[in-house]
Amino acid sequence: MNKIAIIGFGAAGYCAAAAARKCDPDALIDVYTDDGRGPYNPMLATYYVKGAIDYEAMFPFGSLDEIEERLNLCIYRNSAVTGLDGETKTIFLSDGTKAAYDNILISTGAAAFVPPIQGGDLPGVFKMRTAEDGVYLKKLLDSGKIRSGLVVGASWVGIKVVEDLVEHGIPCTLVDGADWAFSIAAFRQTAQRIHRDLEQKGIKLAFGQMLSHIEQEKDGRITAVMKNGCRFTADAIAICIGVRPNAAFLKDSGVAVNRGVLVDERMSTNLPGIYAAGDCCEAFEIQSGERKNIGLWFNARKQGEVAGANMAGRRKAFGGNALLNLAHYLDYDFISIGDVASCRDEDQVYEYEDDRYYIRAVRGEKLKCLNMIGTGESNGVVKSLFIKCFENNQAEMDMTSICHLKGSGFPDSFIDFIGRDQH
Amino acid sequence: MKHVFTFDPDRCCACSSCMIACTDQNDIDLKAGEKCFRKTYDTEVAFKEGGIYCAYLSTACMHCEDAPCIAACPVGCISKDSDTGFTIYDNTNCIGCKSCAMACPFGAPRYNGADGKMVKCDGCYIRVKHGMKPACVRACSFGALDCIMEEEYRNSGSDKACNVLIDQANLRKKEALRRWR
Repeated sequence: MNKIAIIGFGAAGYCAAAAARKCDPDALIDVYTDDGRGPYNPMLATYYVKGAIDYEAMFPFGSLDEIEERLNLCIYRNSAVTGLDGETKTIFLSDGTKAAYDNILISTGAAAFVPPIQGGDLPGVFKMRTAEDGVYLKKLLDSGKIRSGLVVGASWVGIKVVEDLVEHGIPCTLVDGADWAFSIAAFRQTAQRIHRDLEQKGIKLAFGQMLSHIEQEKDGRITAVMKNGCRFTADAIAICIGVRPNAAFLKDSGVAVNRGVLVDERMSTNLPGIYAAGDCCEAFEIQSGERKNIGLWFNARKQGEVAGANMAGRRKAFGGNALLNLAHYLDYDFISIGDVASCRDEDQVYEYEDDRYYIRAVRGEKLKCLNMIGTGESNGVVKSLFIKCFENNQAEMDMTSICHLKGSGFPDSFIDFIGRDQH
Repeated sequence: MKHVFTFDPDRCCACSSCMIACTDQNDIDLKAGEKCFRKTYDTEVAFKEGGIYCAYLSTACMHCEDAPCIAACPVGCISKDSDTGFTIYDNTNCIGCKSCAMACPFGAPRYNGADGKMVKCDGCYIRVKHGMKPACVRACSFGALDCIMEEEYRNSGSDKACNVLIDQANLRKKEALRRWR
């Protein structure tokens, strides 16, 4: 009998369990999770805070009890795996328990990174990643005691916390260490528009602000002190400066880890029988042809499916993805497709703006990066065309995509620019 | 029994009867800013080497077999109807994040500004379950759009299934992987 362990039970872990069970009805599947809740998308926490969904709606696959029964699993709740021996495929728990398996999936996800700073544990300082974080912020905002908020980190999570504050009518300030918002995906020119639009909604912005520490004020408020001496005082401070793959427990395991766990197209690590999927891994990225950590719910689910099938003896591959960042907040959407860091001064630039859309695209020999604001319904069409130009130079730009883009108000010049790789 | 939408561009003149039928069937309130799930195009596309192609198209959800929108939705709104194979949805918990639109290569999911939720073509699966054709198919006077059983489609030797496009996309993906190895 095939003995499978799944470490971490988010989207990747769940989809792996479902796929493995589908392929092998007899396999023994043990799941280890440091949580007691069903799998969920961390992005939903801020939607729960603003009241867009009920708490239960955060768990689309149901509770652990329901999943355990449906997929015939054995789920070890609140049981974090603290170590792994890659040679013997043995896992270790903090209470000294150990168990050996034929196949192991590492699907531990990622965690919000909070630097170990002075004052980081003061009341009113919080991060935003888990359902618990969402419950904490909702209570805080519903208490009516918060009259001002500060968000440190103009990231995809940070902007959602800003939205939660704005929706509660709380004045807020957004600061970041970089020179502009979404700096790992947005061109400066795109960010200028994003800044302008945020300021129009009453949000104060400050950039080039590196957080030093947090101080308690005599009046009960808290102050984020920056390395340059600037001080930002508020009733609550969110620290949203980034996420890190949960891979520290793999130290000395023999599993190859860069930023995340390195995997091939079958989601297999460097060690046979050990797989990784989701936010904790680095899988094939189409544009660079290298392995990168792309934390997307879609990737986690697809990678989990692939890993689960392979652990159950099938052969399945994950097709890879491009770098994608979608921010949706305050009736606004911004998407970045491709690698902004790969763009050079000598590259060709395309820019377009009307009352609906802002587009900035850069290409060298091939497309490198696209920033688009307001194009939500067409993002999939453009993303698909972007990916196609890396997959097959000979592919024709299909008539459906051309018609869709023209019909959605994209100018011919844009279609020409992105279709230049194709015949 | 699974169903397949087929489309023959040679028979389409973009008269938009399908859109009107879709709007009617789904009670789409255009005045309130709601959008029809189906779109027609009467578009002139100029070729680089000269000449113009007049495209007449009617598009909606392609009901992909392995629909990427299903995996993309963080709240699990989208699923497959086990009877018809159509990609259906319940947007009660939709948060309007547009992740489904980012996953769809055809721009099928639409954002409804009035309630901030996504909507899409569900293949009129309830009609189909009751032995009727989807509203758009019924309204097509030229036989450009059809919806037939999967088996019938396979036996016909036709290559006009809307989701053939997806198969081509998958082939490309495999090629890219081969190059990478």
